[in-house]
Amino acid sequence: MVGSNKRSGARRAVRYSLALALLLVMVYPYLYMVLSSFADWTQIDKKLFPTSFTLKSYEWLFSGGETGVTRPWLNAFMNSIIVSVASTALMMLFGIMVAYALSKLNFFGRKAMNNFVLFHMFFPAIILLVPTFLVIQRVGLYDTYLGLIIPKAVSLWAIFMYTNFFKAVPSVFIEAAKLDGASDLKIMFRIMLPMSKSITTVIFLFLLMERWTELLWDMIAVKSDSMLTLNVLLSQMFGPYGSYPGPLYAASTILTLPIIVMFLIFSKKFQEGMQFSLK
Amino acid sequence: MDQRNNKLGWMFASPYLIYSLIFFFVPLLWSLFLSFTNWDLIAPTFNFVGISNFLDALQSPAVHAAFWNTYKFMMIFVPLVTVMAIGVAVVVHGLPRFKGLFLIGFFLPYLSSGVVSALIVKGLLSYTSPVNEFLRGIGMDINWLGSPFSALFVVGLILAWKFTGYYALIITSGLESIDKEVYEAAAIDGVKDSQRFWRITLPLLYPSLYTTLILAFGVTFGIFTEVYQLTGGGPGNATNTWQMEIFKQAFSNMQVGYASAVALLASLATFASIFVIRKILEIWGKRNGWV
Repeated sequence: MVGSNKRSGARRAVRYSLALALLLVMVYPYLYMVLSSFADWTQIDKKLFPTSFTLKSYEWLFSGGETGVTRPWLNAFMNSIIVSVASTALMMLFGIMVAYALSKLNFFGRKAMNNFVLFHMFFPAIILLVPTFLVIQRVGLYDTYLGLIIPKAVSLWAIFMYTNFFKAVPSVFIEAAKLDGASDLKIMFRIMLPMSKSITTVIFLFLLMERWTELLWDMIAVKSDSMLTLNVLLSQMFGPYGSYPGPLYAASTILTLPIIVMFLIFSKKFQEGMQFSLK
Repeated sequence: MDQRNNKLGWMFASPYLIYSLIFFFVPLLWSLFLSFTNWDLIAPTFNFVGISNFLDALQSPAVHAAFWNTYKFMMIFVPLVTVMAIGVAVVVHGLPRFKGLFLIGFFLPYLSSGVVSALIVKGLLSYTSPVNEFLRGIGMDINWLGSPFSALFVVGLILAWKFTGYYALIITSGLESIDKEVYEAAAIDGVKDSQRFWRITLPLLYPSLYTTLILAFGVTFGIFTEVYQLTGGGPGNATNTWQMEIFKQAFSNMQVGYASAVALLASLATFASIFVIRKILEIWGKRNGWV
């Protein structure tokens, strides 16, 4: 017995070191990004682990350094927050509403609509890109926040996930609430939503992350500098800042940090939610 | 199905109905219409040009490249990400504790922007980078983004890095659902440890594997950010993709009619390929008696 314990202990140690080594390889590039953003400029992209540090990259980013041109980084950061939060909030709200109808309201055409949502979700969206731009342009939303938000106000994936989850909620709860005179809106927000906290966390984080890192749409839907999101501004500065990698790493760190913080805050609920959503 | 439920149902579903009208049906028809015109995004008028946009597209080297590159990316990305995800899942699954924390760590690359990943990889592969210093030291001088194969490979690798943690999550939950008793029973039946993975784990893992494979194949039809950021579709057309080509034609060259035709071809290629891939995966599963 003692021998086998020792053996399994050794095996465990091997497993942990293997997992840790793999993890380090996978997250090392982000470590490299953060370290490089604080690194002395003579060491950037020359050392895997910089040894001498400075805040120069961050100062340079906001002052424009020797290029003499300041870019609206702070403004872009605020734009990203406005657009991501508004888009995500709408995607969640509409996702819950539509899914409630598709799962718990027995209306005419429900089955057809359920099937259509699936079809829509797997439809190659690329064909819609150009005309969606034209729609936004025609209704006068080109180069506005609404132009960034409204085409991304409904998520088929969110509708699909919530529909599946709500289907699993026993209708008894709803019948009981209805007997007590609760309205459907009340049932939705007071009963269904609190019951789906963990799946809501998963959906919220995925949607927020996807909206935060969107490139293609945010690039074509606006033209003024003051409307750029942080991701697009960073993308545009690739060329002009080509010989200044430090500030680019600083901007990347600023772009990546919020999403990681959000994720760590919600990590426990996220794990619970993943358990369900993967079943 | 009473009157009240009918009214409420349509009311609650109305955001989706309005959305799909404005952002699905209208664009779809508009796109079909545009593909037969020569509109340039600015001019007030345009002409119908019949199927000439389609004929041009079918003869364009850039479109050919976009078509074939999808499958080249597939051949690099799908095996790479599948092996990496299974590897991560198996290693993490064997841990007695901290599974969730590890999985979250592996998930981080999925959360980050493709622009950032591209920047980091560009830095790590720049001429003066330690990676290339080392490779030159052993006599290998690689211009990573300058030659067709390595450029394809770098983009495929970035994508595999991004999606590994996500797919590992799906595969881990597949592994969790396999009953320990199955392994015990197999041990009694004389299945050796070395055969365990192939004869027991893999067949029982098929459903999760099917999900990740479908997702992974799907990814290759929508590649944009990494290519736009790193190569712009080059060198030549070596890393051009459908999205890249449509973006270039519509918003750089203003050839909206032509871009719509390319988008239609892209959708057809995507639809047909995914259909065939699904069928192959299903037949593969049935042949082996996994479903």
